[in-house]
Amino acid sequence: MDFQVIRDNLDYLLRGHWPDGPLGGAALTLLLSVGSAVLSGALGLALGIALAMSAPRVRVALTAAIGFFRAIPVLMLIFWTYFLLPIAFGIDVPGVFSVMCALSLVGGAYLAHSVRAGIASIGAGQWQAGLSLGLTRFATLRHVVLPQALRIMLPSFVNQWVSLVKDTSLAYVVGVGELSFLAAQVNARTMIHPAEVFLFVGAIYFVLCSALDLLARLLARRCRSGAGV
Amino acid sequence: MKLHTFLFAALLLAAGAAHADRLDDIRKAGVLRVAAFDGNPPFGYVDEKTRKIVGLDVDYAEALARNLGVKLEIVPTNPANRVPLLTSNKVDLVFANFTITEERAKAIDFSIPYIASGQQFLAKKGVLKRPEQLSELKIGADKGTTMESTLREKYPAARVISFDDTPFALAALRNGNVQAITQDGTKLVAILANLPDRDKYEIPAFAISEELEGVGIPKGETRLVAHVNEWLRGLEKDGTAQKIYDKYFGPQSKSPLPRLFRIGDTQLRKG
Repeated sequence: MDFQVIRDNLDYLLRGHWPDGPLGGAALTLLLSVGSAVLSGALGLALGIALAMSAPRVRVALTAAIGFFRAIPVLMLIFWTYFLLPIAFGIDVPGVFSVMCALSLVGGAYLAHSVRAGIASIGAGQWQAGLSLGLTRFATLRHVVLPQALRIMLPSFVNQWVSLVKDTSLAYVVGVGELSFLAAQVNARTMIHPAEVFLFVGAIYFVLCSALDLLARLLARRCRSGAGV
Repeated sequence: MKLHTFLFAALLLAAGAAHADRLDDIRKAGVLRVAAFDGNPPFGYVDEKTRKIVGLDVDYAEALARNLGVKLEIVPTNPANRVPLLTSNKVDLVFANFTITEERAKAIDFSIPYIASGQQFLAKKGVLKRPEQLSELKIGADKGTTMESTLREKYPAARVISFDDTPFALAALRNGNVQAITQDGTKLVAILANLPDRDKYEIPAFAISEELEGVGIPKGETRLVAHVNEWLRGLEKDGTAQKIYDKYFGPQSKSPLPRLFRIGDTQLRKG
């Protein structure tokens, strides 16, 4: 093992060409992860609520659409948005955006079912209590049901986000210079240190995902203590 | 293989697309967008110091950008992405050790070849002496290259293992997962020159096919093709082509290799 190769390329692996050129490496991985986490969270929440609250016919259509995005590989979706949209409709989608789009759609589709299950887990008594106080259905959802449901859903969100962080590596297929893409470049030049390079890459993903987990735990603890007051 | 099915669908769709004249578009935009390898030394790779994509293909692309009086923008590519990048209008040209084949010429156009090489092998010393032995070996190849398909066609009994890129194939060779890897001879000498234990390996002295590499150009851009061809012939005439070659394969370079092909030739000269 010779980790000199990591020391020589550390700043490239961490931030790419930035600030002289485009951002890349671990920083871009982080940016892609945060962007798609926020978007997939918002999408999952909206779709999940829609699933829980909508009329049966709308629910069938929604379930079908969500099922579609859950059933296709993320890699294909990235590929479609990047290569096929320009050919089919003449829309040019930059690589970073097509990756974020694909990850958010797929992540949102997964989360929608977690959100729906979380809402379903709150007993009918809670709904009745809200409604009997004169709250509308949405006010009951917003002030009574969701605060409880979100706490139950948190582990599912963290699960999904952790897998999303790792899925950002699929951006290589459209040439987006995130961490694993730049690692492959460094590996291609040095040729003889694949073990060191990819051990380092593994370590970075581990740190990113663990940090996310830790953050979620802290947040959960604060929510709990807040609820007690 | 899913990806390949996809590429094919993309090609079919692209066949119907209409386009304006690309040569004028490039001049108007003031930018030439070129796809080049980022992990394929010495043709295209990321420089250790500048962190920019450099290499023989990039030198050609730069010369063309200068000739057109426009800025050069390099888009990193891998073997399997080269055709879709062109058909989806993500780049104007591909300079990526791009072997000219009939199959590919259905979807895109090619310039005249500017470099050529034979498909050769890299193996531990003494393992591979004659082409017939290929049928008994596990051989690493790069996915989506002509090496992979030629090997499968000519030696159906050989066990071909496809890797995403050459470094992975090389790692498999060094770890003993495969007994040989196949690549352009030009690339193999560069790889061999970089190995710390290079005396343990050799490039057996036979090639199973001859590959001519040209510039990938969007289908139907006849003016662009004509311009690129004329420019390439000019490079040979004024010595630039030789200079670029010598930088990577000349006697003073890390991996010297006699130049058996000049722009305008139709096959390798017998060395």
